[in-house]
Amino acid sequence: MTHRPYTPWLFLLPGLAVSFMFVIFPFLNMIVLSFTDASALGGGQFTGVDNFVRMAEDPKFWLAARNSLLYMVGVVPPLVLLPLLIAMLAQKIVPGIGIFRTAFFTPVIASAVVVGLIWTWLLDSRGLVNNVVEALGGTRIGFLTDSTLLLISSMVVTIWRGLGYYMVIYLAALANVPKDLHEAAMVDGAGPIRRFWSVTVPALRPTMVLVAALSAVNGFRVFSEIYLLSGGSGGPGGASTTMVMLIQLTGRGLTGEVGYASALSLVLFVILLGLLLITLKLNRREDQL
Amino acid sequence: MKRRTFLAGLAALPVAGPLAGCGLGGSTGSGSSASGQVTGEITFQTWSLKPKYTDYVNGVIDAFQKQHQGTSVKWVDQPADGYLAKVMADASAGSLPDVINVPPDLSFPLAKAGQLVDLDQNLKEAKPEYLENAWQAFEIPGKGGCYGFPWYLNTGPIFYNKALFTQAGLDPDKPPKTFKELEEQALKLAQSKKIAMLGQTPTIADFGLYGVKVFENDKFTFNDAKGVEFVESYKRMYDAGALIPEALTQNYTGAGAKFMAQQTALNPGSAYDLGKFKTDAPSLYANIGISTPITNTGSANMFLHGVSVPRSSKNQATALAFGRFVTNAENQVKFAKLASIFPSTSKGGDDPYFTTEDGTDEARVRVAAAKQLKTAVNYTPVQFSDQMREALLQQLADAMLGKKSAKQALDDAVAECNRLLK
Repeated sequence: MTHRPYTPWLFLLPGLAVSFMFVIFPFLNMIVLSFTDASALGGGQFTGVDNFVRMAEDPKFWLAARNSLLYMVGVVPPLVLLPLLIAMLAQKIVPGIGIFRTAFFTPVIASAVVVGLIWTWLLDSRGLVNNVVEALGGTRIGFLTDSTLLLISSMVVTIWRGLGYYMVIYLAALANVPKDLHEAAMVDGAGPIRRFWSVTVPALRPTMVLVAALSAVNGFRVFSEIYLLSGGSGGPGGASTTMVMLIQLTGRGLTGEVGYASALSLVLFVILLGLLLITLKLNRREDQL
Repeated sequence: MKRRTFLAGLAALPVAGPLAGCGLGGSTGSGSSASGQVTGEITFQTWSLKPKYTDYVNGVIDAFQKQHQGTSVKWVDQPADGYLAKVMADASAGSLPDVINVPPDLSFPLAKAGQLVDLDQNLKEAKPEYLENAWQAFEIPGKGGCYGFPWYLNTGPIFYNKALFTQAGLDPDKPPKTFKELEEQALKLAQSKKIAMLGQTPTIADFGLYGVKVFENDKFTFNDAKGVEFVESYKRMYDAGALIPEALTQNYTGAGAKFMAQQTALNPGSAYDLGKFKTDAPSLYANIGISTPITNTGSANMFLHGVSVPRSSKNQATALAFGRFVTNAENQVKFAKLASIFPSTSKGGDDPYFTTEDGTDEARVRVAAAKQLKTAVNYTPVQFSDQMREALLQQLADAMLGKKSAKQALDDAVAECNRLLK
């Protein structure tokens, strides 16, 4: 049998072609565009680092970066802990557990737009939640019309949507935690809480890091929740705009500033890459301890 | 190492996503000559006309092909959702269809980038066939040239909820006609019944209707004293609860939905909306009041669509002939009768359909709108882009919330719009 060095590449070619066309080329194009003043209709002159200088002075950029950061800080801890607790419940084999698991997974497969509309109806100034609040004698709350509450409402939707997805990841990981570890701990007299902290959590730590990393990235680049709950506006005065929303608002349409939007995308990419590298480094250091 | 590559890949994918496809290329190729022979194949792209108007459009195409033997028109209809994205992708790839349906705010950036055929240069004789204000809507202000055949027009009546007016002690037969009356009645409505009059902060067209000079000498100018006075009036209404809280973030569609849900008492609309109320909100329809638009200038606002021919078209002569044919008086009147819209041709409006009432609400709205259109103005400057609309909405929200004075908010909005103009 002769070994031809190009054979593996032939097999890889279709996949590589697709990812070059739809991932690598657009990504490289974005990097090039970020140093130009290109518009949606093509063209654009090389402008050096002008876009980045403008960004540093652009209050909208700092606001969006701050909101994205807040969003990430707000959603990561609940998304690391809550799905784990739900997974531990869903792991039990009891009658009707299938319904429970399905109920938690449904938001994951539901369309983001449908989810957004349902939550808009719930949280609207005349929505279900506010009607209940008013019926109980309270005053209506501006869930979608106050910039801080809008961010918090969006976080709640993100957490609600993410629960099922991360629950499945935890379920797979929990199945791999050796039963004898739990049995040994029980023999040593450890109660359920002690076993959770001393057996389950250490065994699941790599999974928790993965969930933290994934939810941090998803949280930082949140778009659909904010977009749908704010009716595409980024909240009153644009005060709840996040990074991806800012990119969309800047670059959209025939009059979009594609050069500046690309520069924003590049900065977002660098931030996310940095976040992931830090997470991985922390994980590796703990592995070595 | 493997995991790092995987995660980095994960991050790269969605970030690269939003801008994928916008290239540096962009072609403004001049295509064929406009004075060639009318023959060969062209593509005609419309904005969301299928399936409701399929028979009508096919009929127009058949008639054109019969009149010009040897031509063939391929019709593609794009849904309203994503229409802009499709035009944008085609425009940056230099592959726009031969005849495209575009409103003035879409034709403007294309014309500015040199992508559309100038009708003033190539088909000047067509100009008298259209209403002057409609033809002007497709010109680049200050630079001349017309870049689209005006197609259908619309102007809105205002709709108001008679039941809510009555509950608040307002005369249901005397809706506001000017902005001063609007504020008076809105405050009364809000104070007596805690009912909001409006679902939206003012749009740029509202500034025009108020009598503010929106755009002059290549610059936005709506931050003058009159503009400030207008925003201050809205601020007083907002503080009194005459605007729903969502008004700070929502657009026309959102405001329309709130009016249908009877959460607001008044909303501008179009003849098309009346049919929607009938089927989707029958309890509102039973109490609907219809009036002329609120304006301080005596003129109503006008919306319009047109068809443009890109310079990249390989068959410009046929494309221009077809564009003129689709928008001629006969075809426009036929279309208007089907679709609650109005013809932009100088003769079309004389059709008895637009001048005589038959006792129905629809006819009343139609005749009133047709009358308004004679003096109507497109108060939204063609330069006013999506980004500018967003900037105005955001600044007005800050003014309503009291984070900025009306003057400051308008100064900031004007500065941002003028920056985006470049």
